[in-house]
Amino acid sequence: MLKLRFLAHKEFRHILRDPRSLAIVVVMPIMMTFLYGYAISLDVENIMIGVVDYDNTPESRQLIDHFYGSAYFSKPDASPVDGDPERILLSSEAKAVLIIRSGFARALHERSDFSLGMMVDGSDNTVAAAVQNYSSAIVSKFALDQLPVDIEIPGITISTQVLYNPDLKSSHFFVPGLVAIILMMISALLTSITIAREKETGTMEQLLTAPVTPVQIIIGKIAPYIGLALLDGILVLVFAKIIFKVPFVGSYMLLLLFGLVYVSAALSIGILISSLVKTQQVAMMSALVATLLPSVMLSGLIFAIRNMPPVLQGLAHIVPAKYFVTIIRGIMLKGAGLQTLALNGLALLALMGVLMAIAAKKFNTRID
Amino acid sequence: MTERPAVTIDNLSRHFDSFKAVDGISLEVTSGETFGFLGANGAGKTTTIRMLCGLLAPTSGSGTVAGFDIYRQAEEIKKSIGYMSQKFSLYPDLTGKENLSFYGAAYGMNGSSIASRTEELAERLDLHDFIDRPTRSLPVGWRQRLALGVSLLHRPRILFLDEPTSGVDPVFRRKFWKILYELAEEGVTVFVTTHYMDEAEYCGRISIMHQGKIVEVGQPFELIQKHRAENLEELFINLINGREAANAEA
Amino acid sequence: MSEAFRGLVRKEFIQVFRDRNMLRIVFAVPIIQLLLFGYVVKLEVKNIRTDVYDFDQTRLSREFVNSTSAGGYFLPTPAETPLLNLESSFQRGSRDMALIIPDGFGKELESRGNITIGLVADGSDANMTAIGTGYMTRMAQKYARDVVGMRMPLNVKYNVLYNPEAESVYFMVPGIVATLLTMVTMMLTAMAIVRERESGTLEQLLVTPISPYTLLAGKVFPFAILGLFEISLALVVGVLWFDIPFVGSPLLLFALSALYLLTTLGMGLFFSTVTSTQQQAMFFAWFFSVFAILTSGFFTPIFNMPQWLQYVTYINPMRFFMNIVRGIMMKGAGLMELLPDIYTLVIFGLVVFTFSAVRFSKRAS
Repeated sequence: MLKLRFLAHKEFRHILRDPRSLAIVVVMPIMMTFLYGYAISLDVENIMIGVVDYDNTPESRQLIDHFYGSAYFSKPDASPVDGDPERILLSSEAKAVLIIRSGFARALHERSDFSLGMMVDGSDNTVAAAVQNYSSAIVSKFALDQLPVDIEIPGITISTQVLYNPDLKSSHFFVPGLVAIILMMISALLTSITIAREKETGTMEQLLTAPVTPVQIIIGKIAPYIGLALLDGILVLVFAKIIFKVPFVGSYMLLLLFGLVYVSAALSIGILISSLVKTQQVAMMSALVATLLPSVMLSGLIFAIRNMPPVLQGLAHIVPAKYFVTIIRGIMLKGAGLQTLALNGLALLALMGVLMAIAAKKFNTRID
Repeated sequence: MTERPAVTIDNLSRHFDSFKAVDGISLEVTSGETFGFLGANGAGKTTTIRMLCGLLAPTSGSGTVAGFDIYRQAEEIKKSIGYMSQKFSLYPDLTGKENLSFYGAAYGMNGSSIASRTEELAERLDLHDFIDRPTRSLPVGWRQRLALGVSLLHRPRILFLDEPTSGVDPVFRRKFWKILYELAEEGVTVFVTTHYMDEAEYCGRISIMHQGKIVEVGQPFELIQKHRAENLEELFINLINGREAANAEA
Repeated sequence: MSEAFRGLVRKEFIQVFRDRNMLRIVFAVPIIQLLLFGYVVKLEVKNIRTDVYDFDQTRLSREFVNSTSAGGYFLPTPAETPLLNLESSFQRGSRDMALIIPDGFGKELESRGNITIGLVADGSDANMTAIGTGYMTRMAQKYARDVVGMRMPLNVKYNVLYNPEAESVYFMVPGIVATLLTMVTMMLTAMAIVRERESGTLEQLLVTPISPYTLLAGKVFPFAILGLFEISLALVVGVLWFDIPFVGSPLLLFALSALYLLTTLGMGLFFSTVTSTQQQAMFFAWFFSVFAILTSGFFTPIFNMPQWLQYVTYINPMRFFMNIVRGIMMKGAGLMELLPDIYTLVIFGLVVFTFSAVRFSKRAS
């Protein structure tokens, strides 16, 4: 036990003495929280839209007011060039141009059919879809408002109930998931590098000649990282609460429990990588490719798994972060309990078991 | 052999913040001389060599190498010197031959002169057996031979060697010094630091440095007599210890 | 002089091609990134997994539920959990929405009345909820009008330019091109210089008569070539595998990439002057890349970011290059349309590269 404490102590000193690795441990989570909280906002608003109004009547101007009056559209700095509406799209000054042919007001009064034109920059397909959705909603509302009141309009009204995040804040969705990424980075990336470093400098050999078992060495080495990982996790959560006002509905204990399972899985990956590679550089590359990339891309953190091709959906099932992202969102935002999360929890536990077994086997056979 | 000095140093200093790594040393090395630059670890030898080679700017004082001023004519100095540091300075993933031809290009040599010079050096330094292997796989002694080859490529008039034989077996050390002697006979000035006192005895003249200052200069034999020591090793230890004692009293 | 430069470039290429890890970075990373991003990054809201509670069970209610699956936005399935328990599938993360159709839906609709149906959404995914409820509202209104045969007198004819098929991958590949060029050139340059310092070969180089500027040019040039090779690789894979259209001039794209390289290589140089190990250099470069990617408009539009962050994006050179790559590849934009971005990149390149070059050669002499 004393030996373990000594090893862990040494590891802590390594981390604290190098300002750069300290920066990684402290600055990175803060920076990532800010970026994920603010930069990844998927709600599409304030889309720049230009208007060419050939009708130029009070009615056409009223329609234009409807567009700019909504939160979805706003006026671009430049106006579309007469005769060449595409110009403003090419230079990216606007995302769409609404074209009102003359005869709009007349058609409206005569209740005859009329088509408005809209030229849309389709390069960003999400923005283009939003433009079409929002503009057609505005236009049909405008058209219905013009109908005399005595006409019966049949309709289906939707009463929408939004659970968990009624203000629809993107940051509430992304920031909790970020904990999964940070824990993975600290646990897998830093541990694999630190063990590889000991191998590179030859101090691992030195340690092995001392009367400590490989298992003790590993535990001594990773204990500080477990502490750091948890610390970073808490840091992100505090930030989430203070800056982004992300609620925490569920149980802290439950999150801690699953957090430990997840961290153990991540550490196993880190140890596995370090027992397979010889240099820090390779450890780093492998850790980035094997842990960070799938954790960001295939976990449902940003990109919905349901939209991926089947092969990648299958692959997502062996990504620990997928389960942890679901779990942490469930606990923090939805107040999910142990029972509801049982399946995700068991899957995570199983993954951890398998990873640990492989890591332990590889480590023991490789080290001596 | 000309009489013009290869290296002159006048009151040269280099400070790192408040630490005086080199503290006002003066020295003159004549052309064709094999000069042993001795001192304990941290005495300031490497700092001095780095200043002479143009790798580090002095804090004060002046100096010339091959007649060129170390402040203003660093480029000319670099053309006329060879440098071999105590750190292994070859590309580990390149073969010996590739290292040689790369550094040849760095000295502005063209392909054919690099090829003929490589052949010449391979012969002279016995590199043939391993010149086509990546240098990372070579034992220390072989690497040092290659590193010496690199520093000799462009036929420098002055050779700075910073602990060239550390970590090398006695047989190869002997060989290494034989090559240095030959070079000296060809008129090359050799400026070498070492920890091996038997090597120091091969030198025409030596200086002993301690805490940034040169405490003794002269021919090895003369110095041994002057201080009534048995050999160079005793002289070295006595001098350093004496200094430390004096410092302690002060 | 030129011998030295040629020697440096030759050596750098030998090193890249002899190092298996380097080769992996240079060849495998672009392809993996391209495939992964091409398939994964789909931000359009589709396949919303919807539990349907149909208490009406009439022809009209079933027809309505079927109509919601049009366009691939909703995946309606009959609910398996009882209504009182519907939240549990949200908590498990296995459903995104629940649609509740009350008894009398069909009857009311046939008598031209107004009926209210329920839609419950897992709001944690804000974007999905906002877009999905919008879709549902419009689908329901359209269905109600269709049932009674009413037609809207006013409609909009859309003319979608550049990416009318609304393929995400067409939008992502140009973005990946910009990302790759940034990451690879910056990281490799920084690491290659730091490696020389770590191994002591930089010192050996500095006692040769190579001038600092030749040294700098010799270290930077190979990575410029590699960077251009990277984007060619990405473009070939993008065009052959994903069938992306390339509307504009490839020549212009390469020319402007070369201009942008001035900035990324300058950043790499800069990182090499502030770090002492390859690992640190890599971390620095990687950090910067994350920042640059997230604030470049790569997969979230800049106009959606908070105002202060929008100002921050102006110090991100990648933002301007992103616009250039997308403009050329997707819209066929020419020099004239891209002039503001080009001017900005010229300024960035000159400032960053000069600053770093001066820093580098100061340290080198």
